[in-house]
Amino acid sequence: MKWTLIIEIAKALMLARMKQTLIAATGVMFSITMFVALLGFMNGLNTMLDGLVLNRTPHIRFYNEIKPNPNQPIDQSEEFKDKLNIIRSIKPSTSRLSIHNSASIIQNLEADPRVLGVSPKIAAQVFFNVGTIDLTGIVNGIDVEKEAALFAFSDYVTVGNHEDLNQINTIILGKGAADRMLADIGDVIQVTTAQGNRVQLKVVGYFQSGLGDFDNVNSYASINTVQKMLGEPASYITDIQVKLNDFTIAPAMASELRDIYQIDADDIQTVNAQFETGTQIRSMISYAVGITLLVVSGFGIYNILNMMIYEKLDTIAILKAIGFNSSDVNRIFITIALTIGIVGGVLGLVFGFLAGLAIDQVPFETEALPTIKTFPVDYNPKYYIIGGTFSLITTYFAGFFPARKASRVDPVEIIRGK
Amino acid sequence: MPVLEAKNIDKFFYNPSKTQVLKKVSFGVEKGEFVSIVGKSGCGKSTLLYILSTMDTDYQGELYMDGEMISGKPKNYLAHIRNAKIGFVFQFHYLLNEFSVLENVLIPGLKLGLHSRDELEHRAMEKLKFFDMQDHALKRANQLSGGQKQRVAIARALINDPVLIMGDEPTGNLDKKNSDIVFHKFREMAQQFKQTMLIVTHDPEFADGTDRTIEMEDGKVIRQ
Repeated sequence: MKWTLIIEIAKALMLARMKQTLIAATGVMFSITMFVALLGFMNGLNTMLDGLVLNRTPHIRFYNEIKPNPNQPIDQSEEFKDKLNIIRSIKPSTSRLSIHNSASIIQNLEADPRVLGVSPKIAAQVFFNVGTIDLTGIVNGIDVEKEAALFAFSDYVTVGNHEDLNQINTIILGKGAADRMLADIGDVIQVTTAQGNRVQLKVVGYFQSGLGDFDNVNSYASINTVQKMLGEPASYITDIQVKLNDFTIAPAMASELRDIYQIDADDIQTVNAQFETGTQIRSMISYAVGITLLVVSGFGIYNILNMMIYEKLDTIAILKAIGFNSSDVNRIFITIALTIGIVGGVLGLVFGFLAGLAIDQVPFETEALPTIKTFPVDYNPKYYIIGGTFSLITTYFAGFFPARKASRVDPVEIIRGK
Repeated sequence: MPVLEAKNIDKFFYNPSKTQVLKKVSFGVEKGEFVSIVGKSGCGKSTLLYILSTMDTDYQGELYMDGEMISGKPKNYLAHIRNAKIGFVFQFHYLLNEFSVLENVLIPGLKLGLHSRDELEHRAMEKLKFFDMQDHALKRANQLSGGQKQRVAIARALINDPVLIMGDEPTGNLDKKNSDIVFHKFREMAQQFKQTMLIVTHDPEFADGTDRTIEMEDGKVIRQ
């Protein structure tokens, strides 16, 4: 059977009922538009909210934790090895915060194909001396270029230029800390380290992460500045931050490297489990709403095709009388359903994209999110592919039962019934 | 060899109660014959026609078309037979209102797919010319009068050069003038093309003009 004839008949039937056909296609279009716009917006927000924390979080962080030595001498002795030994009041051993052999660890990590990049860091506890008052804080010594490349550091420097940190004795203050100290750009502040060293640092910028508590405490300086502040050599590093190509392998890799390097390693999943859960639930809800819309429009198509079949019983009967078989009639109505689906679907994708662009223009400014000026929208082609596929599937099923009904029409009954 | 042969056709209706509407109906139609079936309404002549047309498959007995036994054949094959070998004319015209007159005539030909569209269009115009409808070829079917529609319907029945034309009271719904035109076209087809035709009618004048009349009463053939 030639498809051209089937398509021609389907077209004629649709043109004869242009209005209903358009309404059905509009229904599909509307639902696809909403589906694409909703998912794009929802996932844009997800990405942004997750990015707040996840962008700034290394996939694996290596550090030395201060804790009691798990291998106490009594457990090693021949005599008490197999006994239950209880020791009270163990104190942490005088282990160093700095990572031993950090240079070769970094070299090793950078050679690993799973690793996107490595950035060393020093976290130093300090007091900011403001008049007679000391404010506690943390100065993070960072490798400025690597921090900017891997952890979007520059996005969060709201005032000033992050590259100024490369000059010695400069600092970028957390916005909260700066407000408390009334420190302007260009001011020199005094910092006392936990070891008692006093250093003067020049403020070259403000840092605003969007998390208030974090900004009240944390400030940034270059790794050299912090090493100098602490009076430590150039090899002194307390943290190694690793970004992976695929962050899902972080837990496995963290436990593997923990044993190799004999230091503590935290992976992003363990540290930030709640973010992923929230993201998953939000996308689940938006998929549920989107698919509901599509199913509803499917019922619209089902209704309209059913109506069309009742109106066109004569046509179906005559087609059968002049030699069209059941599967031809079936194909005609499936063609109608799919045409409505394709036309509505394509228009829906276009309008969905336009709706995304429109949402993208809506201003959205908040203190907490310094880098965001308008609502974020995710234009991932994935949502367009899912939307298009679902529109075809739902319209096919919406057409399936009416088409089957049409194919079963008994022409004798219709022709005799006149 | 008869073009159409019915042997011992029995047909029952089950609704509301079991009644036999056709009782051992047997007859044949020879090639080139113009045959009419007459009888009072309710005698089963239309029922018989729908069985002969292959659309109604719920009967007992044997039906041969062109020497081929077609009882019990699959529905898709029967649809093909209707398309290729039978031309249909109904009482209520039954053109497709969504299409133009020319397209209506074309569709069975396109369905059969033996000829190209251009050639079919040429043939369709020939048929329309024969029925004096060539000027209306591009009109919509619902813009025609009843008599015109019926002439187009006959043209459509002819497009695939069927071995047999069947009609269910083709003049039943027409006024005297149109009914005469249609009847004369049937006569012309019989004389000029030796077209085999089997027409159910209750118009005695129409029946008188045919080569042979099969008379039915109470589901039986009483005279042929």
